[in-house]
Amino acid sequence: MQREFMSREGQIKGLILDPRTKLLLILMISVFVLGGAGGLKLFILRPILSFIPFVMLVTSGRVGQGMLYALAYSTCYFAQIVLLPEMTGMGSAFILIMSGAFCRFLPGFVTAYFFVSTTTVSEFMAAMERMHIPDKITIPLSVVFRFTPTVMEEANAIGDAMKMRGIGIFGRKRKKLFEYRIIPMITCSAKIGDNLSQAALTRGLGAPVKRTNICNIGFGFWDAVIICICILVVVWSIAYM
Amino acid sequence: MIEFCDVSFSYAGDENVDGVKNINLKIKDGECVLLCGESGCGKTTVTRLVNGLIPHFYGGNLIGSVKYDGRQVSDIPLYDTAMTTGSVFQNPGTQFFNTDTDSELAFGCENLGFGKEEIKRRVESTVKEMKLEPLLGKSIFNLSGGEKQKIACGSVNALLPKVMVLDEPSSNLDVASISDLRNIIMNWKKQGKTIIVAEHRLYYLVDVADRIVYMKDGIIKGEFTSEELINMPNEKRRKMGLRRPTFRLEKKMDYEISGQGKKLVLKDFCFSYRKKQEALNIPSAEFSTGHVIAVIGRNGAGKSTFARCVCGLEKRSGILDFGGKKLGTGDRLKTCYMVMQDTGHQLFTESVLDEVLLSMEKEDEKEALLILERLDLKEYIDRHPQSLSGGQKQRLAIASALAAKKEIFVFDEPTSGLDFKHMEEVAAILRELKEKGKTIFVITHDIELIESCCTDVLQLEAGRIADQYPLDEMGEQKLFDFFSNRKQEKK
Repeated sequence: MQREFMSREGQIKGLILDPRTKLLLILMISVFVLGGAGGLKLFILRPILSFIPFVMLVTSGRVGQGMLYALAYSTCYFAQIVLLPEMTGMGSAFILIMSGAFCRFLPGFVTAYFFVSTTTVSEFMAAMERMHIPDKITIPLSVVFRFTPTVMEEANAIGDAMKMRGIGIFGRKRKKLFEYRIIPMITCSAKIGDNLSQAALTRGLGAPVKRTNICNIGFGFWDAVIICICILVVVWSIAYM
Repeated sequence: MIEFCDVSFSYAGDENVDGVKNINLKIKDGECVLLCGESGCGKTTVTRLVNGLIPHFYGGNLIGSVKYDGRQVSDIPLYDTAMTTGSVFQNPGTQFFNTDTDSELAFGCENLGFGKEEIKRRVESTVKEMKLEPLLGKSIFNLSGGEKQKIACGSVNALLPKVMVLDEPSSNLDVASISDLRNIIMNWKKQGKTIIVAEHRLYYLVDVADRIVYMKDGIIKGEFTSEELINMPNEKRRKMGLRRPTFRLEKKMDYEISGQGKKLVLKDFCFSYRKKQEALNIPSAEFSTGHVIAVIGRNGAGKSTFARCVCGLEKRSGILDFGGKKLGTGDRLKTCYMVMQDTGHQLFTESVLDEVLLSMEKEDEKEALLILERLDLKEYIDRHPQSLSGGQKQRLAIASALAAKKEIFVFDEPTSGLDFKHMEEVAAILRELKEKGKTIFVITHDIELIESCCTDVLQLEAGRIADQYPLDEMGEQKLFDFFSNRKQEKK
């Protein structure tokens, strides 16, 4: 995942969506699927919304991941409907909790994953600018995106180092595991952050002019389709209430 | 023109960190100046004074004036300096704001609010001029160090600054990438840009630089021309702590090997990362304990994969037989130890002493102190490991490995960005480990290090062993050919 984080290489074919549409989709899925807005009346709606990330994964060439997602989601979904009325006791409670949680979290997680693996930092900044969100919010957010894969690399290196010294859940010093992991991470991250800001500042980041963005983002046919679906969902949910 | 007038600077908060004192230096337009000297001599500080990071990023006590074309650099905000002065830094991985190469090349121009058409024109001409076409449209996480550094140079170049400041730009590069970097710098010089490079590696710039400024303890101690540096007696140069200005081999290597005991045998040593082609394929190979084996090869030749497999960090990577005993992944983790490039990753505790005790089966303070003494760390036993200098951290990592009674050591680029003195220190430690009968692999691009402590060479190419030879007279020649061919190939 690290290597395709915030990169264009992540998506060459399939539905190329505007970053704003992807953000809208994350919002919709968070509200309706994760948040469960509309309650039981919108029980049918959730699978429809959850189907969209599957389409996006498959069309962009991530067939394996798409299938895995579809399988996991439908298993949990049908477990809820079919199995639950038949079962009683601890077992059923456990399955209810597990499948319910999965059905809620998975679509949002997958959409967010799709967002970070197909949007470049630059596209993200362009989208935020079009939505008139000030630089004071955009730049720190994009630094967070930029920083995440690097921190993951650091964390892996630290994990390797711990393995070589026999520190781990099954090894020694179990109690101090968290501390050992966090301290080198903080020092490394601080150093990297320093380097990053130096490189950005010496290339004029923060100049009091309007920042240009050469990214071509804009709404296309598929954006329209997704936005229409989102509007329908909102109208539907309001009508039911 | 850049003019330093009686400049002194000390960093705020940390008086021990290398500042500069009474710097007087004039750099004419179009000149190429190479700053050299030991680590901590203040050469990086000089570059920061030119690009404005001092005082705008690093606070401290600044006396005197640094002027560019008559204007005080300290009075100009950083974003204005960005128009005239471009900066390239040491670590290629941590100077990117974007995650894809295209946006990175345009990043500086975007910040300064140039028009879209103008930016496109500048980026296109940069790409053409620096031959960056193959790198376009890529994620930076898929680039090698050398490719990243090229993009960093390109991004700065698109701003068309008149002054270029480079701070140890070659530290993390292999030989071929260094010669690419050299071409970029030569090109800038041809265009009449003023170039200031702070660098330990001298060989690739010695004939490009117009002047070589030597610094020590924050003071400019001398100035040389290229010829003067090339013809300087080795003894004098070493005393100054400078690396070799040319590529020739200098001294005969001492070819003494102790502890001809156990054998380390690799069989069907293959590994591939998920969905990628095979990264390592070694049908069989044999090494002996008490040897220091230099692992050389281009970026992407499989050196790191080799190291990871030997250390047991990758599963299912073939057979490793050490002294007649087959070591599985878990045993390898117990027997082998990798000293990483960034040793900060492998130090976990609150004090130097704890760090060594942590590695011991049974905590034994006496033994720990003995180990620390041998590695010159005894006076620091109460310091926090993360507050040590780079070289001290490296030694501490080695101390903790000795305490854990590790037999096989793998060093990942232990001397990248080190000056002559510190390189010698690393070499001395490697020799000591060798005398103890340990088996040592050193992944390195540093010919001086190989010369001063390695006994064998293992050359990898595309995951296979291209060559393996002892460093006798014939081996030396081969090694020299490897390094110098690579240099000429690209010219």
